[in-house]
Amino acid sequence: MRKAAPQELQPGMVLAKPVLRGTMVFLNEGAVLTESAISRIESMGIDNVFIEGKSEQPIPRDEAMALVENRFRNHDDSPVMMRVKKILSEHIEKLYD
Amino acid sequence: MTEIPETGELRAKVESISALPTVPSTLKQISSMLENSRLSVNELGSFISSDPALTSKILKMVNSAAYGFPNRISSISHAVMLLGLNVIRGLLLGVSVFDLMQKHIVGLWEHSMGCATVSRWIAQKKGIKEPEEVSVCGLLHDIGKVILLLHYPTQFDNASALAREKGITQHEAEKIHFDATHADVGSWLAMKWRFPINLVEAIGFHHQPHLSRQASLETAIVHVSDALVRAKGTVGDNYTRVPEIRPSSWELLGLSDDDVMEIFNILEETASEEAGEKECQEAY
Repeated sequence: MRKAAPQELQPGMVLAKPVLRGTMVFLNEGAVLTESAISRIESMGIDNVFIEGKSEQPIPRDEAMALVENRFRNHDDSPVMMRVKKILSEHIEKLYD
Repeated sequence: MTEIPETGELRAKVESISALPTVPSTLKQISSMLENSRLSVNELGSFISSDPALTSKILKMVNSAAYGFPNRISSISHAVMLLGLNVIRGLLLGVSVFDLMQKHIVGLWEHSMGCATVSRWIAQKKGIKEPEEVSVCGLLHDIGKVILLLHYPTQFDNASALAREKGITQHEAEKIHFDATHADVGSWLAMKWRFPINLVEAIGFHHQPHLSRQASLETAIVHVSDALVRAKGTVGDNYTRVPEIRPSSWELLGLSDDDVMEIFNILEETASEEAGEKECQEAY
């Protein structure tokens, strides 16, 4: 899930959270956006909507990996911890693909 | 230099939580209610329902990824029916304490929610009958930290600083500064609040799971969840060294590489959902 401003929206994108107008649901989560839906969203004065897809990571990949090294400091002797660290590194790699 | 309390003195202090001047009155009220052995489902339900803020916080919790009911639970009575008295007692405590958490310890709320989510996931995987109870264990495992911090702020800060300087865990540093740890404090409170033994042990032994006698599976789940959530890192908690997972607990759970990967994915998703929700609430 990631945040997108109305002008970034493209037809075919899928909503990850409902778009509300007041307390009424205008479009539900899972809805596929069309041209007309996008222009209505633009006219509603909303700052952002939530759409499916990877969110941008808050820090660069190298920094994320360096933090992993830091969190796993002094665990080199533990096979379990090294296994968890390897899986975590793969997980983080995927976030930046 | 402030004095370091003896373990016996510390325990007596913690157990007289209702008399601690630093503890907010709502928490005192909840504490004395939970000590009542004859508290009925109806009494608990009407206590929560009489407070709209509490009601909405608890409903938000039961509908979150940590509890994962596919249909939204819309009333406290429905929640009590589905989840049982002990789970609701735990959640009541969780939501009232974690306001304090957010205010005082950066990242502890996110960490606790993460542990609740992962504990429930593993519990389900292991076929435990009441995965929600294990989730409550995950949610409350660090409750002792809040009480230590409220009542012994200087020593608690010193312990945290020592942990950072020496590269030891918070748990080890507390042992040096208090001669007892947040896990001990949490288990004393869980006993006082008449929580079932699996919760008492899972909280008390989450750093020493091999000491659990009556709830070794639940304790191993919380122990491993704690480490996996720390490994993944959360807001404000990217630097804490991951506590070491005991090989015996790891083997007991028998998680595959795919399971661990799935757990990291779930944590990634729930973290961005929570961030999303905060912004949505701000927007409307």
